[in-house]
Amino acid sequence: MNIEKEFTQIYNTYAHKVFRLCLGYASGDEDLAKEWQQETFIKVWKHRNSFQAKSSISTWVYRIAVNICLGDLRKSKKHAQINENTLEIDSMGNEKEIQEVQIRKMYNCIDQLTQNNKAIILLELEEIPQATIAETLGVAHGTLRTRLSRIRKSLLKCITNEK
Amino acid sequence: MKNDKLTQTWNRQKNVPPLANPDHIIKKAKKQRSKQFIAIAAMSITVLTLLIYSIYYSSNQWNNFTLGLVLMISSLTFRIILEFVSLYRKESQVISLDNLSFKKYLKRHYKIRSKVNYIITPICFAIYIFGFTRLLPYFEQELSKGFYTYILISGIVSLFVIAIIIVNSILKESHFLNQLNRK
Repeated sequence: MNIEKEFTQIYNTYAHKVFRLCLGYASGDEDLAKEWQQETFIKVWKHRNSFQAKSSISTWVYRIAVNICLGDLRKSKKHAQINENTLEIDSMGNEKEIQEVQIRKMYNCIDQLTQNNKAIILLELEEIPQATIAETLGVAHGTLRTRLSRIRKSLLKCITNEK
Repeated sequence: MKNDKLTQTWNRQKNVPPLANPDHIIKKAKKQRSKQFIAIAAMSITVLTLLIYSIYYSSNQWNNFTLGLVLMISSLTFRIILEFVSLYRKESQVISLDNLSFKKYLKRHYKIRSKVNYIITPICFAIYIFGFTRLLPYFEQELSKGFYTYILISGIVSLFVIAIIIVNSILKESHFLNQLNRK
């Protein structure tokens, strides 16, 4: 297959998932997430020859994406802690607004996690297979499952305002 | 766990906005690569010219002016090469390491960079300033008073601006290293 076609296929398969993963890292800042998403695929294209099929292509793409999000020095303006007051759901708010607030609250809670836990939960929420997540992050599958259940519990507590 | 509250909330995010198409990404990647080649070529030519210049003048008419010029260009070139090596190494780790190893690498990378920032950069900067001061008597002698004053003032202002940029980048990198160590 022609290399450009092959890249297009990889891009079409993973572009959206990578964007949403980056969105989680950027606390919902779309511009920053788009930038990281593009940077990920620029690296995939530039280094396509150095990809050795030791891992699957999905692991490689997610690995680059997570590393790019982690390694960027900048902090998005929206990345700062979201004021709790802005997260109060207005009883008069419509369904769309309520959802928006819940999602912002979720970003806020994810942002409070450690970098490693953040990567774990973001990949899991994108329904990436656990074996791929373990390989992407460099943790054992068993450890991942234990940590995942702990992260889920603490995230759920944070979202539902339980202390 | 596919239908729990977390996954449901996550999946309620608004739809993904239109993303760049793959051709655009390929074009951008090619542009980045050619810029890298141009930068490397420019640096290699600078180093080569500097070497030839120094070798030629060292046996012919070496004076404070040539010394100043060589010191300025070489300290600047050395610092830029160091920056390139550091960037190139980081890029190769981004694509090859798993996330945990990459985080460890980043901590090492920024520790080394802070040594470069606190030791090598000030040395390069001092050599650059020393080189600049070697040139000043020649400028004063050869140029009009007005132009000499202009060079003096603009030189000091640009050194000041460079110092601010360096300090700013040092602060940014230390802040990032602290964040990495905290989380």
